[in-house]
Amino acid sequence: MRLHQFLETLLRRGRQKETEHFLTRLFHKLQDLWLKSFSRQVHQRETEYSFGKLFKKFQDILTANNEALELIADMGDKLSGEYIFDRQYILSVYEQLKAQVHNLIFDLNSLAPRKYDKLFNRFEDINEKIQQDLTGKWILPRGDAVIPYAALSQDMNELVGNKNANLADVKNVLELATPDGFAVTTSAFRSFLEWNQLYDQLQHLFASWDPEDETSTEQVAEAVEACLLNGKFPPELIQQIDKAVEVLQKKYQGEPLSLAVRSSAWGEDGVHSFAGQYKTYLNVPVTQLPESYKKVLAGAYSRTALAYQSQKGFQIHELAMAVACQTMVRAKVSGVVYTMDLSSPEEDNLMISATWGLGVPVVKGEAHVDQYIVCRTPPHALCELTVVHKPIMMIAAPEGGTKYVPVSEDMANRPCLITEQLEKLAEMALSIERYFKRPQDIEWALNQNGNFVILQTRPLNIMRQPGCSMDDIPHATDNYPLLMHDQGVVVQRGVAAGQVFVLSDNADLSRVPHGSILVTRHTSPRLAGVMRKVHGILTDVGSPMGHMATIAREFRVPTIVNTKVATQVFKTGDEITLDATQNRIYAGRVRELCYHEFTSEDVFEESYEYRLLRRILRKISPLNLVDPHDNNFNPVGCLTLHDIIRFIHEKAVEELVQSGDKIGTSDVSTKRLKFDIPLGLFVIDIGEGIRPKTSCHDIRPEDITSVPMQAFLDGLMQPGMWSNDPVSVDFGSFMSSLTRTFSTTTGSPRYLGRNLAVVSKEYLDLSLKLGYHFNIIDAYISDKLNDNYAYFRFLGGVTDVSRRSRRAKFIGEVLEQFNFRVEIRGDLVVGRIKKLDRPLMVEKMRLLGCLVGYTRQLDIQMHSDEYIGQHLDDFLQRAADIKHRSEHEES
Amino acid sequence: MDLDKKTQILILDDEPIVCKRLKPALEKAGYGVETFTRSLEAMHRLTEKTFDLVITDLKMEGLDGMAFLTEVKRRTPDTEVIVITGFATMETARESYQKGVFDFIAKPFKLGEILDVVRKAEANRRQSQS
Repeated sequence: MRLHQFLETLLRRGRQKETEHFLTRLFHKLQDLWLKSFSRQVHQRETEYSFGKLFKKFQDILTANNEALELIADMGDKLSGEYIFDRQYILSVYEQLKAQVHNLIFDLNSLAPRKYDKLFNRFEDINEKIQQDLTGKWILPRGDAVIPYAALSQDMNELVGNKNANLADVKNVLELATPDGFAVTTSAFRSFLEWNQLYDQLQHLFASWDPEDETSTEQVAEAVEACLLNGKFPPELIQQIDKAVEVLQKKYQGEPLSLAVRSSAWGEDGVHSFAGQYKTYLNVPVTQLPESYKKVLAGAYSRTALAYQSQKGFQIHELAMAVACQTMVRAKVSGVVYTMDLSSPEEDNLMISATWGLGVPVVKGEAHVDQYIVCRTPPHALCELTVVHKPIMMIAAPEGGTKYVPVSEDMANRPCLITEQLEKLAEMALSIERYFKRPQDIEWALNQNGNFVILQTRPLNIMRQPGCSMDDIPHATDNYPLLMHDQGVVVQRGVAAGQVFVLSDNADLSRVPHGSILVTRHTSPRLAGVMRKVHGILTDVGSPMGHMATIAREFRVPTIVNTKVATQVFKTGDEITLDATQNRIYAGRVRELCYHEFTSEDVFEESYEYRLLRRILRKISPLNLVDPHDNNFNPVGCLTLHDIIRFIHEKAVEELVQSGDKIGTSDVSTKRLKFDIPLGLFVIDIGEGIRPKTSCHDIRPEDITSVPMQAFLDGLMQPGMWSNDPVSVDFGSFMSSLTRTFSTTTGSPRYLGRNLAVVSKEYLDLSLKLGYHFNIIDAYISDKLNDNYAYFRFLGGVTDVSRRSRRAKFIGEVLEQFNFRVEIRGDLVVGRIKKLDRPLMVEKMRLLGCLVGYTRQLDIQMHSDEYIGQHLDDFLQRAADIKHRSEHEES
Repeated sequence: MDLDKKTQILILDDEPIVCKRLKPALEKAGYGVETFTRSLEAMHRLTEKTFDLVITDLKMEGLDGMAFLTEVKRRTPDTEVIVITGFATMETARESYQKGVFDFIAKPFKLGEILDVVRKAEANRRQSQS
């Protein structure tokens, strides 16, 4: 039988899976054959290949490496909200990235035949997952059936439903207290339906449903509910649920575990609130969890829920129910916050209702509750208080479920909350509102320890009145002085109104008040510490590609960097409105702008395209392979495309060096660089990187003609960076650590214990182990601006983790000041810059030289965070002096 | 507030996200905005209302952007047309300029970028009318 006939037969018989399996095997077989013949060819060629030619391959790798990293960074930038992009963009940019990564794997395997062919498989695995996202299969997604809250994020909302996803962000991003627990996902729902063969039955029932007819709705609802309640659990699902429960039981030993089981459907708690349409079961003993789960599922098809859905235009097949299983909070007080007073939005107040015990009566509107109207502006003064008589309260019953009990006479007439608690609650609520960019309807509880716990949050939809005075932005903003506009770069869009707080570079972060708009001289990863507190950020200098920018996006804090003048224009205490969408800053609180932001049609961060881009970036950009000495530093350890790229870069250098050794020095000259600094550096010249000279094995710095290498050495040798001790450096001990490292060659054997530079006239690739630091610098500088780039990677080690990460922060901040694109992962720092003209590139390389010289001393000194700022100032001063000196010399 | 005084803009892009994001941004800047994801519906709207500005994608299902903007210019030569596209080639750019397009913006673009172009187009139109 011919191949195509065979496949057709399989397909005709409906054996899709087998066909796929067969094709995959065929593919791998072909790949194998191809690789074998390819490796033979390469092997043949290897003997013919000169080092120069291999180096050409190596250079291709570096080019693709840089382009791939650029693409990843560009994709990240699109999340700022400043760009309008569409699905087409996501598809095409991913295609480009895919091609680059594929080329990289191919090229590495031709440098080292077949050695790394496992990378192809890793790449295919990751690619397949991304393709699934891109093809947009989002109806009843497949995924884990049970996911603990700590592992959830917003972009999983199709899997876990909006209630779970929102709460996960409150917990994991905003770090506010929420109940512990797990989500039973829509994927579990799918397997439940499949196991009970309910798909067809339900389809059939819905086909017969006439939404206009109440009797029909009731009949369908009853039939569907019965199907679901009678369903049996797939064994695998019940196992997963049991496992999740067990984890919770271990964590809360000694307390009888009971859960709150809540619905968390797709549309619910998103744009359509579905408030009160779905079921919640409180204080469920773990033994009854499966039953409650089924009841919550069935609740999605109750009569009222069905009527509501048909009214809102929800397709019935879109109804996929995830369920939230949360540890029960035994509340002293419970209630609800509306972050906006719906009856009078212009009043700028938030509304809090509260009662003793559990909150169900408040939510259902069944009980008498205290009402507090509190000002939205810090310190959140109490404007109005209504205390009612609260004779009973709901509590968790010992046997499970809930019951009402009487309240003591004294408590019944007392307000449930005190002023400090109101303030705290308002702060929490406004943080949540700021993050979700919509006024919120938040359910909260005060636990037995007196701490607030957020139970759920959902948007409070306010309708924009057409033609209302709050709607005419151009007119409204005329009334407020425009203090600044179109200065700097928007990192994260959005609107924030508040009081300015100017933070000097080394000042204490704990002084930054809640809800303020932070104004600083520099961008700094250090500000991550206050990112949850502030409502906006402005900086004088800084890069929109830096680490802080990433964090600002993560927390969705409206941010503009590089304004040049923010610290001069604004002073602490000024009331301003920052419109980081239009890049305009007004004096005073422009309420119309805030209102407009709240009512605009779509929250960008919740759009499908934004979530799609974020979701695929999650499989692309995190870097897990940090240290080449780690056990996971291998193709299997590559979890993202960035990992693959990083792995290839590392291995390409290694392969090049090894082939250099193998081939010998027929057309390559390996020289030892001799100069005042004992670097132990060997230089391989692959084209006009060293002045043509006699066969002498030693060269001096002045023999180097490679432009980037020359500039780097120049920086390294700057006296200000090298011999002056910034803070009592013990030069002797440094030297001893240096000699120790080199004499025992504890460094990686891959580099044969030596430091190595590969150079040409325009090019430098430097692997440098200095003390305990490991630097890689890769740069190309020519007169063609578009080809120019510099890549810097720093990896530390040995000292304790906190010192290492301080050092990484310091390096990251320096690089950001000089407009490098910076990424920090633990103590790995990657800085990149490109497309500057030759003199500027030379300046950057000199800076890298200075930085390498300076940082080798920092190991021992980074005792506390303060040192970061001190060293930053010290370094910047020295760099400025050097620049001044060199300009002076030139003129 | 007089609605009629607002500069009226029609946006046509088959990706809803582009319309969804442009509409509030332009409304916030004080423009009247209508958006369409289907060219035939947009075409039909042209027969009912005259727009001061049209922002259109080029590559779309059905009637493509080039045909649409040709029709806009035929009907109301005064309407300024701004083209937004992810597939910018010199060829298409040249062709659109020949048809009297005011400007050409490559996707993805910044909000500020398109607001600038819209303001310029508006000024241009005012100048040519006075």
